[in-house]
Amino acid sequence: MEFKLSKEQELIQKTAKEYAEKAIEPLVNQIEDENRVPDEVIEGLRELGLLCLPVEEKYGGAGAGFEGFVVGLEQLARVSGGVGIFVSVVMLGTSTIAVHGTEEQKEKYLTGTCKGSWIPSVAMTEPDGADPRMLKTTAKKDGDHFILNGTKRFITNTNFAGPMVVFAKDADTGRINGYIVDKFCEGYSISEPWDKLGSKGAFLSDVYLKDVKVPVSNMLGTPDEGFQTLKVTMAMGKIGLSAIYLGNILAAYDEAFNYSKDRIYLGKPISQFESVRNSIVDIAMKYEAAKLMTYRIGYLADNTANKAKLVKDSAMTKIFVTETAVDVSRIAMNVFGSYGLMKDYKMSRIYRDAIVGPQIEGTANLLKTVVATDMYK
Amino acid sequence: MNIVVAMKQIPDLQQVRIRNRQPVLDGVPMTFGSIDKNALETALQLKEAAGGNVIVISAGTEELEDTVKEALAAGADEAYLVLDDELENIESSVSAHLLAELIKQIENIGIILFGEGSGDNYSGQVGPRIAEILGLPEVGYVCDIELEDSRVKVTRSLEDCEEIVRVNLPAVLTIMADINEPRIPSVTQILKAGKKPKQILEVEDIGLDLKGDKKIITLSSLAPENKRKQITVKNGEELVDALLTEGVIRR
Repeated sequence: MEFKLSKEQELIQKTAKEYAEKAIEPLVNQIEDENRVPDEVIEGLRELGLLCLPVEEKYGGAGAGFEGFVVGLEQLARVSGGVGIFVSVVMLGTSTIAVHGTEEQKEKYLTGTCKGSWIPSVAMTEPDGADPRMLKTTAKKDGDHFILNGTKRFITNTNFAGPMVVFAKDADTGRINGYIVDKFCEGYSISEPWDKLGSKGAFLSDVYLKDVKVPVSNMLGTPDEGFQTLKVTMAMGKIGLSAIYLGNILAAYDEAFNYSKDRIYLGKPISQFESVRNSIVDIAMKYEAAKLMTYRIGYLADNTANKAKLVKDSAMTKIFVTETAVDVSRIAMNVFGSYGLMKDYKMSRIYRDAIVGPQIEGTANLLKTVVATDMYK
Repeated sequence: MNIVVAMKQIPDLQQVRIRNRQPVLDGVPMTFGSIDKNALETALQLKEAAGGNVIVISAGTEELEDTVKEALAAGADEAYLVLDDELENIESSVSAHLLAELIKQIENIGIILFGEGSGDNYSGQVGPRIAEILGLPEVGYVCDIELEDSRVKVTRSLEDCEEIVRVNLPAVLTIMADINEPRIPSVTQILKAGKKPKQILEVEDIGLDLKGDKKIITLSSLAPENKRKQITVKNGEELVDALLTEGVIRR
């Protein structure tokens, strides 16, 4: 058992932190106001290998594995939750293709993302929800193609060209499979962006698929592997979210700790009041616990051959980290008092970002059902 | 042409806290001094302009073998190291002796770069001492370098002026901190750093006796407490005056 980053992981952490502080921090308000990640940030992430951390090097990725991914993403999300979500969704798309894609699909879509200009998306959720049994989007085989029809909701990075893994129900067999759709092909359109409460920056919209033609060669895995593909996607998404909201906890920790030393009340820093000190200790403990779980899920992702088996552990990690982020933000907000409510203070954004975590990619109650099903089977 | 960069392993100063006027070094990771990173960036830019090979040299505790990955990730091609846990807190003349021996093992050297001072003791002695040991010309306080065939045109930043000199190669140059902004290493380079060539020597290989008064012993530390300055003002005019005086704002 070793609780220590390797030198390489330390340096990945340092690179992500330095880039986030130098290149993203000055643009954070712009990212919030415009609700988009600027092109220069995307290019910077790509050049430094931070956009495709776990993708194998032969496809242009950094080859840092999921341990490297969680360590790097934590630092990016510490500065901007929106950039964190953007990078996490790139990982989600590339990982789904990396696990179940053919060599040809990987060569085209992973290389096109890591070395080219593509930004992937994954489309599972629909207006009725994200339960696979409720999917209404259909794929109808027609010669060498599938014809896709349906509406997907709350999909990230839909405004960029690149692959979108769409989960749809086979119109004939009822089986669910993933299909790689080239965004902006004929029949692909998107809604106006949703304006989230927090974690702003990554473009989020609905996607309309109207008679979209997808070559048979763009189906992910074999027809009977679709549910496994879906499980991999579900697990991977939660690994990304865990790292993002670990970064959010770290941001709240930094802000509250520094503020407690700077804020003078009754002639002394508030860090000298025992109640404030206890709050900071609570935050520090919660951060350490969340970090252990998040780094562990990164380790498991690198050391589990069948990634579909990560569904339970990734769900537990995501529930714990996102709920902890909300707790920590509330405690940190109390350290700030009224100032924390003001937009001039970073704490207000960290608080809004934290609230988003438990709501996306499965609420805690839904995910606990997933975990319990696995425990009692 | 080989461009040699001397770098010193020091605790990451951003993570050092001061308690009772003493630096707290427990658990602080090692890194290289910030001006050493400027020297490395200079070497990388010279390589990009004129080709060549960037070689990092350093002497330090065993941890240095890991720390040097940071320089290799930033773009250095190889490293020559002397490793020994007895090398902690050695004084400048010993460092100069060790590094000079490393340099003697490298052929076809064009430029030997140093930061103008190390990130911890900032004595600024090792560069000039090595130039003396090796019988090479040395130029200090360098803020710009232009390669000109077998020599370099160097701008020196002095207190009230700049001085431009030409010096034949090989030469030792010590670099100012504001000469450049060191690049951020990419993840791909970080992961390749451990596979780059390293030549590792022991102190015995160099024939140096580390016993005796070769170490710097800190008798007392005057590390400043991080105290907040408090200024009371009566009105806006006084506030503006105070901010101007403190250099927070400018007219």
